Amino acid sequence: MADLSSDPKALSGRTGFSRMNRHDLMTALATRWRMVPVLIALALIWTYFSWANPLFISPRNLSNLSLQIVVTAIVALGLMFVLVVGEIDLSVAASGAVSAAISAGLAVNAGVDIGIAILVGLGVGAGIGALQGVIVTWFRAPAFIVTLGMSLILQGILLDLLPEGTNLISLVGTPLGKVATLYLSPGMGIALLVAMTALYGFLSWQSWRANHQQALGGSLLREVLLPTAAIAIAGAAAVAVFNAYRGVPGLVAFLLVLLAAFSYVTTQTRFGLYLYAVGANAEAARRAGISVPLVRIAAFTLTGLFAALGGMIAAGRVLGVSPDSADTTLLLEAIAAAVIGGVSLFGGRGSVWAALIGALVIGSVSNGMLLINASTQTRLEVQGAILTLAVVLDALLSRRGGAR
Amino acid sequence: MAIHTPPPVLEVRNVSVRFGGVAALTDVSMAVWPGEVVALVGDNGAGKSTLVKTISGIQQPDAGEILVAGRAHAMKGPQDAAAAGIQTVYQDLALCDNLDTVQNLFLGREICLPWWKGRRMDRARMEKRAREVLSDLDVKIRDTRVPSSSLSGGQRQSVAICRSILANPQVVLLDEPTAALGVAQRKQVLALIERLKAQGRAVVIISHDIGDVQQIADRVVVLRLGRKVAEVTRGGYSRDELIAAMTGALDAAELAALRKELAHG
Ligand SMILES: Nc1ncnc2c1ncn2[C@@H]1O[C@H](COP(=O)(O)OP(=O)(O)OP(=O)(O)O)[C@@H](O)[C@H]1O
Ligand SMILES: [Mg+2]
Repeated sequence: MADLSSDPKALSGRTGFSRMNRHDLMTALATRWRMVPVLIALALIWTYFSWANPLFISPRNLSNLSLQIVVTAIVALGLMFVLVVGEIDLSVAASGAVSAAISAGLAVNAGVDIGIAILVGLGVGAGIGALQGVIVTWFRAPAFIVTLGMSLILQGILLDLLPEGTNLISLVGTPLGKVATLYLSPGMGIALLVAMTALYGFLSWQSWRANHQQALGGSLLREVLLPTAAIAIAGAAAVAVFNAYRGVPGLVAFLLVLLAAFSYVTTQTRFGLYLYAVGANAEAARRAGISVPLVRIAAFTLTGLFAALGGMIAAGRVLGVSPDSADTTLLLEAIAAAVIGGVSLFGGRGSVWAALIGALVIGSVSNGMLLINASTQTRLEVQGAILTLAVVLDALLSRRGGAR
Repeated sequence: MAIHTPPPVLEVRNVSVRFGGVAALTDVSMAVWPGEVVALVGDNGAGKSTLVKTISGIQQPDAGEILVAGRAHAMKGPQDAAAAGIQTVYQDLALCDNLDTVQNLFLGREICLPWWKGRRMDRARMEKRAREVLSDLDVKIRDTRVPSSSLSGGQRQSVAICRSILANPQVVLLDEPTAALGVAQRKQVLALIERLKAQGRAVVIISHDIGDVQQIADRVVVLRLGRKVAEVTRGGYSRDELIAAMTGALDAAELAALRKELAHG
C-alpha cells in the first residue's frame, strides 16, 4: 500500500523550497496579510502629506477627513457584499439618492416622523437591491448591465421625486441636517473604545478557550492578548486625536460600530461564510446544499440597504437632496475604495475593513491634495494611479490564488 | 455469487436512462458489497457518469430501481441519496479555493453555537472533528487554516473525499478521482481509497486508467454504449482484454469466453 509519508512533497515540500515559500507568501498576501500593502500605502500617503503640509496631521484636519470618508466607506461596505459573491452594483449612488429623497420628502414635506421616514428610505434601498438581485439570479442577466439600467431609471425617478422648479429638498434645520455636526463627548469616545476593545477581547478569548477545551492548542498571547492590545492602542490614538479637536464625530462612531457588527457577520456566522463560498465556487456551494440564489439576493439587498444609508448621510452632510446626489463620483469612489482595500473584483475575497481603509486612502489623497493646492488634474491622476495599482495587485493575487 | 452471503449494500437493477434519442444506459444491473471497490470503466460516452448520477439521485432512471441494503429507494435528489448513505465525489472536486480545509469539509453543515451565544460557528469543534477524519484516513495537511488554493491536487482530492466521509456513508461514489493527478498524488488518492475499503465502506470508482483499475478494483464493470458488456473480478482479466471489451474490439466469441470467466470468477 502506498504510504503518504513516503511522498516528500506531501509533507514539507523539501523539493523546490524557495518556490513553495514564494507561493505561501502570495497566498498569505491574498488572505491574512491582504491589508499589509494597503496600510503601507496609507502610511506613505500620510507621511508625504504631513511633510508637504503639517496641517494635514492636525487633529482638526484628521477629524474632518474622517467625516469626509464616512459616506464612501458605508457605500463601499455595501458594495463589498455584491463584490464578494462575484457580482457588481452600479446603481448604489442613484439608489442612495432616491432613498434619501424619499426619506427627506416624507420628513420635510409630509411631516412624517423622522425615524419612520428613515426606515422607509432604508426599506426602499433594500428593496431596490433585492429587486436587482432577483433579476440577476432568476433571469441570469449580467449584473453589470442590470444595475446600470437601474441606475438610469433611478436617476429619472429622483428627478420625479424632487419638487419642480427648485429641484431641491432642503434639510437645513432638520434632524437629518444635523447628523454631521454631532460629536461624542470625550468621555463617551473613551467609553466606546473600551466597549469595543472589550467585546473583541471577549470574543477572541472565547475562541481561544474553545480551542483549548478541544485540546487544539493555540497561544493566548498571539491569539487574544496581542490583537486586543493592538486594537486598544490604535483606538486610543484615534480617540486622542479626535478628543484634541471636538471629540469622536458621531458619524465616525456609527461607521465603526457598523463595521464591527458586519465584521462579526462576515467572519463568524454561517451566512458570512456562504457569501465567500458562493463568490469562489457557486457550483460547490450549491452541491453543499447552500441556496445560492438566496445568498446572492441577500448580498444585493445589503448593498441596497447600505447605499440608502450612505445616501441619507450624504444628504445630511450637504443639507439637502438634489439631482447632484446621484452623482457617479460616489459610485466610482466607493468601488475604488473597496478594491483598494482588497475586495476582489473576481469574487470570494475581501473583508469589511477594506471599506474603511480603502476610503481612507481615497479620502486622504483628496484631502491632502487640497491642502497642498494641487490641481484637480493631479488629484485625478494620483487617485487613478492608486486604483490601477490596486486592481493590478488584485488580478495578480487572484491568479495566484486560483492557480491550482 | 456464493461467496457473497450478506445482501449487497448497493444494487442497481435493470436501470435504463434515455436523453431524448440517446440511450445513455440500457438495462444495466450491478451490485456492490461492503468493503469492496468496484470500478466502472468504458470509453467516452459509455454512460459511466450517467450511472453514477443515477445512483446519487441527480438523474432519475426511466426504468429499473436502486436498492440500498436490500431496500428499494426512489431517489428524487442528492439529499435522498445522502440520507440513504450514499455520498458522491464529483470529477470537478467542488472545493472553494478561498476557504480553508475545515471550512470546506463542513460547508453546508457547519456546527453553530446557540443563538444566545451569537450563532457563531463553532470553529473549535469543527476543527477537532476535521482533524479526526483527516487522521483516520491518514490525509496529511500541514495547516488546516490555509486556503484550499495552496493545497496540492492530491490533497484537494483527499479533502473532497474526506468531505464525503463526514456524513459516514456506506457507499462512496468517485467520478475519476485520479484524473489530472501526478504519480505521487495518484498514489495518495489510491491509498485513501484502500482505507475507505478497510473501513468497510463500498466504493464505486470511475476511472480511465487501466493501471489504477488493476491495482485497486476488486471487480470491474465494463460499459459500452450504455450497456454492461462485461464484469470481471480481480486477477481474472488482462489489460488487453479489458481494453478490448471497452472499445468493442473483442468479437462475440471472445466476449463469451470473458463472460464465462466472469461466471467462474
Ligand atoms: N444531460 C444529458 N443530456 C443529453 N445527453 C446526455 C446527458 N448526459 C449524458 N448524455 C449522453 O449520454 C451518454 C453517456 O454519457 P456519460 O456522461 O454518462 O458518459 P461517460 O461514460 O461518463 O463518458 P466520459 O468518459 O467522457 O466521462 C453520452 O452519449 C452523452 O452524450
Ligand atoms: Mg464521465
